[in-house]
Amino acid sequence: MIRTYVRPNTLAEALDLLADPDAGVLAGGTDLNGDAVGAPSVVVDLQSLGLDAIVSDGALLRIGATATIQALADVESGPPLLRDLAVREAPNTIRNAATVGGTIGSSDPESELLAGLLLFDAAVTLAGTEATTDVALGDILDDPELLAESIITHVTVSTDGTGASERTGRTPKDRPIVMVAGRMTTDGSIHLVATGVAANPTRIDADALDELDPPGDFRGSPEYRTHLAEVLTKRVIGRLEGGRT
Amino acid sequence: MNISLTINGREHDISCEPHDSLRKVLRGAGFYSVRYGSDTGETGAAAVLVDGDLMSADVMLAAQAQGHAIETIEGMSRPGELHPIQQAFIDTGAIQSGYSTPATVLAAKALIEQNPDPTETEVRDALSGILDRETGYLRPVHAVLRAAAAMRGETPESIDVVLLDPLVGNDGVHTDREGITAIAPRVVPGVDIPETRVVGKPETKVDAIKLAKGNPAFTDDVDVHGMLYAKVLYSPHAHARIVSIDDSKARALPGVHAVLHHENVPRVRYASGGQSYPNPLPYDQVSFDDKVRFVGDRVAAVAADTEEIALAALDLIDVEYEVLPAVFDENEAILDGAPVIHDEPDMEGAHDASHNIVHHLTADTESVETGFAAADRVFEQTMRVHQVHAAPIEPHIAIAAWDSDERLVITSSTQVPFHVRRMLAPLIGLPAKRIRIIKPRIGGGFGVKQEMLVEDIVAHLTIATGRPVRLELTREEEFESSRTRHPQTVTFKTGVDTDGKLTAQEMRIVANTGPYGTHGLTVQMVSGLRGLSSYNCPAKRFDCKVAYTNLPVPGAYRGYGAPQAIYALEVHMEDIAHELGMDPIEFRRLNWTGVGDPLDIAQQLGEGDQDADVMPLVTSSGLEEAVAQGARAIEWDRRNDPEWKQPSDRPHIRRGLGFAMMMHGTAIPGLDMGGASLKINDDGSFNLLVGATDLGTGSDTVLAQIAAEVVGVGTDDIIVYASDTDMTPFDTGAYASSTTYISGMATKRAAEQVREQIVARAALLLETDQSSIDLHDSAAWAPGGRSVSHETIALSTLHQAGQHQIMATASYVSPESPPPYAAQFAEVEVDVDTGQVTVNSLTMAVDCGVPINPVTAAGQVEGGMVQALGYGHCEEMAYDEDGRLVNRTFGPYKIYRADEMPELEAILVQTMEPSGPFGAKAIAEIPKDGVAPAIRNAIADATGARIADIPFTPERVWRALQDV
Repeated sequence: MIRTYVRPNTLAEALDLLADPDAGVLAGGTDLNGDAVGAPSVVVDLQSLGLDAIVSDGALLRIGATATIQALADVESGPPLLRDLAVREAPNTIRNAATVGGTIGSSDPESELLAGLLLFDAAVTLAGTEATTDVALGDILDDPELLAESIITHVTVSTDGTGASERTGRTPKDRPIVMVAGRMTTDGSIHLVATGVAANPTRIDADALDELDPPGDFRGSPEYRTHLAEVLTKRVIGRLEGGRT
Repeated sequence: MNISLTINGREHDISCEPHDSLRKVLRGAGFYSVRYGSDTGETGAAAVLVDGDLMSADVMLAAQAQGHAIETIEGMSRPGELHPIQQAFIDTGAIQSGYSTPATVLAAKALIEQNPDPTETEVRDALSGILDRETGYLRPVHAVLRAAAAMRGETPESIDVVLLDPLVGNDGVHTDREGITAIAPRVVPGVDIPETRVVGKPETKVDAIKLAKGNPAFTDDVDVHGMLYAKVLYSPHAHARIVSIDDSKARALPGVHAVLHHENVPRVRYASGGQSYPNPLPYDQVSFDDKVRFVGDRVAAVAADTEEIALAALDLIDVEYEVLPAVFDENEAILDGAPVIHDEPDMEGAHDASHNIVHHLTADTESVETGFAAADRVFEQTMRVHQVHAAPIEPHIAIAAWDSDERLVITSSTQVPFHVRRMLAPLIGLPAKRIRIIKPRIGGGFGVKQEMLVEDIVAHLTIATGRPVRLELTREEEFESSRTRHPQTVTFKTGVDTDGKLTAQEMRIVANTGPYGTHGLTVQMVSGLRGLSSYNCPAKRFDCKVAYTNLPVPGAYRGYGAPQAIYALEVHMEDIAHELGMDPIEFRRLNWTGVGDPLDIAQQLGEGDQDADVMPLVTSSGLEEAVAQGARAIEWDRRNDPEWKQPSDRPHIRRGLGFAMMMHGTAIPGLDMGGASLKINDDGSFNLLVGATDLGTGSDTVLAQIAAEVVGVGTDDIIVYASDTDMTPFDTGAYASSTTYISGMATKRAAEQVREQIVARAALLLETDQSSIDLHDSAAWAPGGRSVSHETIALSTLHQAGQHQIMATASYVSPESPPPYAAQFAEVEVDVDTGQVTVNSLTMAVDCGVPINPVTAAGQVEGGMVQALGYGHCEEMAYDEDGRLVNRTFGPYKIYRADEMPELEAILVQTMEPSGPFGAKAIAEIPKDGVAPAIRNAIADATGARIADIPFTPERVWRALQDV
């Protein structure tokens, strides 16, 4: 349970506070604050660190960690697919508060936005007391310990190429049972990610879908999820090759 | 910690805990419009504006909000004023219970300020974070569009009632459907409907203003000095004996005032279903038992100074369990050797507890064997209907306190205050006269609050501590420990002759009532009644076993056994038509009941005091017209258009249309009773006191309209108070689609007596005879246009001559239960590669007699269809192998959002029901009955897959498609 709330004004101050083993980062709070048991006892609120800018330089989009998901959805220079996945991530009551950094930190295993960031080659910039490093998002999803005692300052994605996504859910805006998103970069190569087929959003290989070992739940068995990955992958590739988005 | 918050432009210095949510702090500061739906933010009931953007205050710390501008609805208008958005919500009928209306109005405000001319898609996105279990979102979405238009200075779209030309027997001009706005109520006028001034009109809801403004009106808004907070320890096991319980550490925790469990609470048997005296057997519950029978069963309850302390105390209660084998499937539970769920010696009233059989119900008319022998073909089909939750956004909540007379006053979000008083008395050892139950506004009930679920806990704790005690369930607790819809395994067997007429029909059910009977008997009786009443058939048989299992407890949920039965029946009838090569509607038409037909199975499956020698007959039916109107609206002919069914540009899509016919009941004949009192005030206004409980349906408004019509005033001259066991006449409560019909007739009778008293005084004042006097426009009128106002009559009778209080009390029980009829249509798209079903539109045309208020009636249909959509399409309670519910929040438990809705259309087909008040029949539950089978039949039309079980989630449909 949260016992102490602090709102530092500088990154250095925030990193000092996070040296406390009981401390954790508070971003938008939409995930963390709903979990009375799992929340850290000291929360370090990043809202005053000025990390909410989203800057585009054409080929790259630099998204501040405390930019809201809605802000990402609204960025006109962002890849349309990534903006669409941001809208699909949550209803507006949550999008207006939840942040891009928090989405990475809380690492929802079925997050469409995380899958989208992965697809656009997100590099996560981590500030630590010793150094600032760039880490590939996929590495963080594989090993969340990489975030320990550090603060995500921004996430940089490539904006190159065209995208498409396909999903199956119980209802049109349900969190998908399986979602596949693809991106065709200007060199003509196709990159794919999926949710619902592994413990986390993951890159997938269209030629090795039979190697997937999806988790099952009441919405979809492993067998069905594998089938969906095959169907949806085919459709995404068809759309990318057909030039439609 | 101390923080400063800017709320509605004013600084507030607040002391709070670092973990306190913004919702908790705002409510603590008196902003009661910010409402509890869950702790995880997904209901949106607590959404507020932060720097102009809508955010869920559940999942924002109050400390996070420091330095930001917070807006709540309290800042939008002053007393006596309405913001244009609030006005639009009232005008469009967008408010039902109003629990989440403040959040929705704020969503509209944020949207319109950022985008003065939003599209419907943008409005739906703006409302996407506020879950609405009541309206189907149609009216709220159009309220926002209307408000935006008004604020731009434009003329909003029409919301006037549209009269549709009848189609049956009309070969002439049909109403052009183009240009009818989405929320204009559609009414097909009936014949011989008497002229009325207030009844039948889209009157504003009597509680609209307080709900539109978010004024304190709900149980959670009651603040009592010195209140303690209760928390309940729930069983982590599906079936276990409590070997020992040690509460010493919990009691020693500072701030804890009581810890109650089976060792210190008297063992008194009861049944928790809120039903008439005597409650149906079995009596298989006690407040706290030494055995637990489902994950979520009660173990102990704590009262403490704060919720945090109460929660900490729960962790300090040491319970040793002997875990027992559990059984969850109703068919396995009744086999020899299954774990016996009720083995206690004081258990009362189960049919065969040693085999977990609570009830074995049978009913029959003529011999079905003879009927099957006479049949040309016999069809048999088994289906499984699953478990879902009513999930009102306001969870169960009750507050108990001693009053100055040392009577126990319980404010509770209940549908059945009078039943609760009677049922509670023996459990707590107080006579009923020392108990008062008050029902304030309710944030949705849908049947789950037809239960004494939490009142005994707060009562025990208040008696133990002498202090006021409040208990509100969390969303997770509401899902797991309250009540659900009964799962059933249903088999229909039907004989059909060479003409397509039914010769015999048998319905067999094995029903699952979880570990407690509560509504187990009566829900299943309704299943039999509804499953075997829609169609004429000379021989019918019903056989139903109700099984105990270790699932969370089923109880009452809007529809009450009918959605299960009508699903199975309408799938079965559809498939018989298919097998016979007949048109599905024509086959049903050959067999469906109409005016004058007998309701023969009702004689045996009635709960009430009925005359066994009198065969109930259908007295009104608008079914033919409803089918014609619905078919025209959904463009039923598209079933025959291959281009439409298989769009060439989307090769994996198949489209289909489906139909279901529904017949429901109106109240329980010979049992349901409502009472009403009406008295005049000095100014010619009236107080209407009713025991009926408006759950957000608009029943208070309907009752006010009935009274207003009779005494000749406007609805706004009727001040409704309901309901309170000390202050209002008895009413069985809001269930069984009874309020308009039963409480409405009680109101009408009371008003007629008041009318006589008004007319008597008016005749004296006008010096004319009583028979010539007419009441309207708040005055009594003599021939020739002379009049005397109701105010003058009131002042005369109260102050001047022959003084007396013009008032009357009346009650009503109906000997009959006239059936509303309806036609449900659905349009779906099926992705044949994935099994994903998308429901494009739902159209329901319903004969509810004369709708007293076409806007609230349409709202019942729209919202009811969407709950029913969830039942058929996406909602399910899912469990792990130990019987733990795995989807205890919205999202995983999927209910529809505003931005993913099918189109909805409700058409009201008027008939004149002779037994109803001003011709009314019921409407509240019938919208729950037909959507699931209509979708299922549409999937069959689209793909040929004839699915047996609900819900139609992607994997189930995909697997069925593999077999086509």
